[in-house]
Order: sequence, then C-alpha cells, then structure tokens
Amino acid sequence: MEAPPDPDRAAAGPDGARAPDGPPARRSTDRPSGVRERLFPEDPRRVGDEPDYRFTLANERTFLAWIRTALALAAGGLGSISLLEDYGGSQVLGIGLLALSFLTAASAYRRWAHSERSMRLGMPLPSSRLPMMMAVGTAVVAVVAAVMLIVDRT
Amino acid sequence: MSPDAGAPGRPRPEATFDDGLQHERTALAWERTAIAMMVAGLILARAGALRDRWVFAGGGLVQTVAGGAVLVWAGAHYDDLHGPLRRGDDVVHPLAARLVGVAAMVGSGLGLVLAVLAAVAD
Repeated sequence: MEAPPDPDRAAAGPDGARAPDGPPARRSTDRPSGVRERLFPEDPRRVGDEPDYRFTLANERTFLAWIRTALALAAGGLGSISLLEDYGGSQVLGIGLLALSFLTAASAYRRWAHSERSMRLGMPLPSSRLPMMMAVGTAVVAVVAAVMLIVDRT
Repeated sequence: MSPDAGAPGRPRPEATFDDGLQHERTALAWERTAIAMMVAGLILARAGALRDRWVFAGGGLVQTVAGGAVLVWAGAHYDDLHGPLRRGDDVVHPLAARLVGVAAMVGSGLGLVLAVLAAVAD
C-alpha cells in the first residue's frame, strides 16, 4: 500500500492543490499575477525540506551568473552610448543591450526562487525561457548592430 | 573541531570540509558579481555625468557603493558560513539575492532610461 504523503509537502503541493484531508493549501504556490509576486516570489524556505547544501549553493551561483550577465549587458549598453561616437547605431545598440539587461536582472530572482522551491519539494526544476531569450535577444542586437554598421559606412 | 567553528568570535577552522569547494566557489561568485556591480555602477555614473543627468549619475554611484558593500559582505559571509555548513544548517539567504537582484534591475532600468533620453535628445 502506498505510504501516506508527507503532510507538509502535500499541503504545499506544486499547483496549490488541496491536500486530501488537510487544510486548504497555500495560495502562494499558484502562478502569481501581481508584479511584486512575479518579480519576487515568496521566500522558498517556507516550503519543503532543505536540499543538499551543494545544490543550494549551485542554485545561488547560477543566480549570480545571471546577475553578472545582466550587469555585463548594462556595461556594454552604457559603453555603447558613451564611447561609440562615430557609429550611428550606438544608441540602438545601447538601448537593445540595456533592455536585455533589464529583462535578465528582473527575471533572475524569480528563477532562483522557483528553482529553490522545486529542490525543496523534490520536484523537477522548472524550465526557463531565460537562456533562449538571452540567445535570441543577443543575436538580434548583434545583427541589428552589424546592419547599422554597414549602413553607417556607406 | 567544534561544530561552531567559523561562527563570529570563534577561531577559524583550519581546513575546509567540502571536497567540491562549493562554498568557496559560491563566495567567489558573490565577489565577482559585486565587482561587476561596481563596474556597471561606475559606467552608469560616468554616462550620466557626461550628459548632466545627475539623477542617473547619483544612481550609478549608489550602485557602485552597493557593489562595494556586497563585496565586503561576501568576504565576511564566507567566514561566517563555515559553522552553519558544518552543522548542516540552511545556508540560503534570499535577502541578499533580492537586494542584488533589485540593485541590478534598478541600475539597468536607469541605464535604459538614460539611453532612451540620449536617443531622443539627439
């Protein structure tokens, strides 16, 4: 016979579903709609069990790597508008890089919190569109910058 | 070795217990991020000052100082974590992650607005 589910885990199930005989599950597990909840999901320490510290630290390093990516994009964008005086596309390039930077910085914490939460609940890590967004965004900015460069030279 | 080794006011442990050096790599990641924050802040401050946009320049300076604070915190926190890690305590700190996330977001947002203003002004 199947073992009864751990009440803590069941109460905070992945979709905010009701535990079979328990109190209503926390609504915080739903996909939040408010801007604040979207950007800063609830402290993941409130659910589940502490994972192996190595995974916690790996998640933290991944978050920090995303933040550094955002900061590098911001530095590149600001450098573009400040340093490229002879290049007509410098402002387009700068705005593109800074927009990418903002999006990356704005989603990094959310990504960290959702991964942490999944690890604590023993669930698969959520997939993310962030890497795809970053690859496509950087490629688009690079192509636009190249086109502007050619147009600028002719 | 006492389980509290590494806690403030106690002697530092003489050896790390983590074969993968996860703890040290994480501390270095925090420090790299702090340095990147300082660099991005300085560039924002410079870009704002060049255009006489002093709010943006001030924002850049705040980001630089915040990066410095994170750098100091990361170094101190590396030492402070020895004890909790040996005890098997929770080592998550969402507050630091939130602060760094917000700082990066505000810095990028200020930069973006500055770039748009510069494009409109030209």
